[in-house]
Amino acid sequence: MSIELVNVGVAQLKIASSPVILRTILGSCVGICIYDRNKKMGGLAHVLLSKATNDSQPEKFAETAIPALIEQLLRQGCKRDFMSAKIAGGASMFKFASQTPLGLIGENNISMTKKILEEKKIPIVGEDTGGSVGRVIDFFLEDGRLKVKAGGHEEYYYKV
Amino acid sequence: MHEHIKERIKTVIANLNALPSMPEVVTRIINMVNDPNVDFKLVAEEISRDQAITTNILKIANSAYFSKGKEIASVEKALVTLGMKEVKDIVVVAATKQVLDKPVIGYDLAKGELWKHNVAVAMLAKKIAIDKKKKNLADLVFTGGIIHDVGKTVLAIYVASTFKDLIQSTVDNQITFAQAEQLLLGFDHQEIGQIILKKWQFPESLQNIVRYHHDADDAPQSDMEAVAIVHVANTICQMAGIGIGGDGLYYELSGKAIEATGLDDTELQHYYGITPELLKMAKQIM
Repeated sequence: MSIELVNVGVAQLKIASSPVILRTILGSCVGICIYDRNKKMGGLAHVLLSKATNDSQPEKFAETAIPALIEQLLRQGCKRDFMSAKIAGGASMFKFASQTPLGLIGENNISMTKKILEEKKIPIVGEDTGGSVGRVIDFFLEDGRLKVKAGGHEEYYYKV
Repeated sequence: MHEHIKERIKTVIANLNALPSMPEVVTRIINMVNDPNVDFKLVAEEISRDQAITTNILKIANSAYFSKGKEIASVEKALVTLGMKEVKDIVVVAATKQVLDKPVIGYDLAKGELWKHNVAVAMLAKKIAIDKKKKNLADLVFTGGIIHDVGKTVLAIYVASTFKDLIQSTVDNQITFAQAEQLLLGFDHQEIGQIILKKWQFPESLQNIVRYHHDADDAPQSDMEAVAIVHVANTICQMAGIGIGGDGLYYELSGKAIEATGLDDTELQHYYGITPELLKMAKQIM
């Protein structure tokens, strides 16, 4: 049996159960993977920016997408006590003029992601962030492991 | 280091047959756009002679992005309804798809990723030109966006065999990936792209966009604005992860280019924030 691979696009949020694999490709965006180890269910939010300006699409922003992701998982019967998060992405241009905020988007995305997860009391058990690499991440709902492919090599994060 | 690879690349670029080809009609149409005395009927005839291109052109012309709701049943109708410059853009999309819509191994791009990236950059560049009241540059930056990374298709196999060294070189020397290509391989994907465009006899302003899209600061003054717009559009799409490859974000965002576009911080963030909508639009013509 082949395992279903689901692509999560920019500013999308998807939840699924074992054995589905959720995949996304990240630059300065951050991918937030939350897993319920008891129910073997989880979700991936691919956020572009830290917080909304005047845009109404909650999936675009860490500040609104993470609570929405947790909410969706809770509605499916997941329990906060069994949830943990892994985060990836938030890269920056290798070089940029220091005064341009565009260069800081990656960092801002990471710090907002951490702040919201802390507020929501979801522990971060794995992190692959920063630098200037593009990342392809695969989130395996079979056991919650995360594969990060970046700059020609692969790294696995198993802790849930 | 890698002297044998440098030599091989030199051999490849000296051999025009080893570089991607472009139907002659495309070159003629690109050059016609700059001719004020151009005869629409002649252009239509010129295009219609190539059946394969014509079919693709009509398909792309009827996408919501180009047609804006109007039905376009022939090349002549496209010229009358959309105008010469739009049709030129459509011809370029139809003709370059075969060159760019394939996996690019060395840069770690699956099939379709480079094509998606280039289409998105083209659309964003055109939008920036129009928003910033530089409508005269809209078609130029669109075409430039579509082909800016064409050099990657040729350099890819050499990047594949030297990838670790390239990345190491960016970090060790604090240089961009393109500069590392130049250092280790003798050429970067911008220079190879320019050589390909020369082979195709595309106009110099397009060559400059391809040659300087990462080195906007060094672009000739005459094409600075167009290069800067594509540079910024390209950076934003890379940051949003659209067709981001193994070379990642190992590039430089030029302050001088941002200045040349006249975009402020709020506008830049806005364009980055609308990349999901941009992608939806890109899919219409991919």
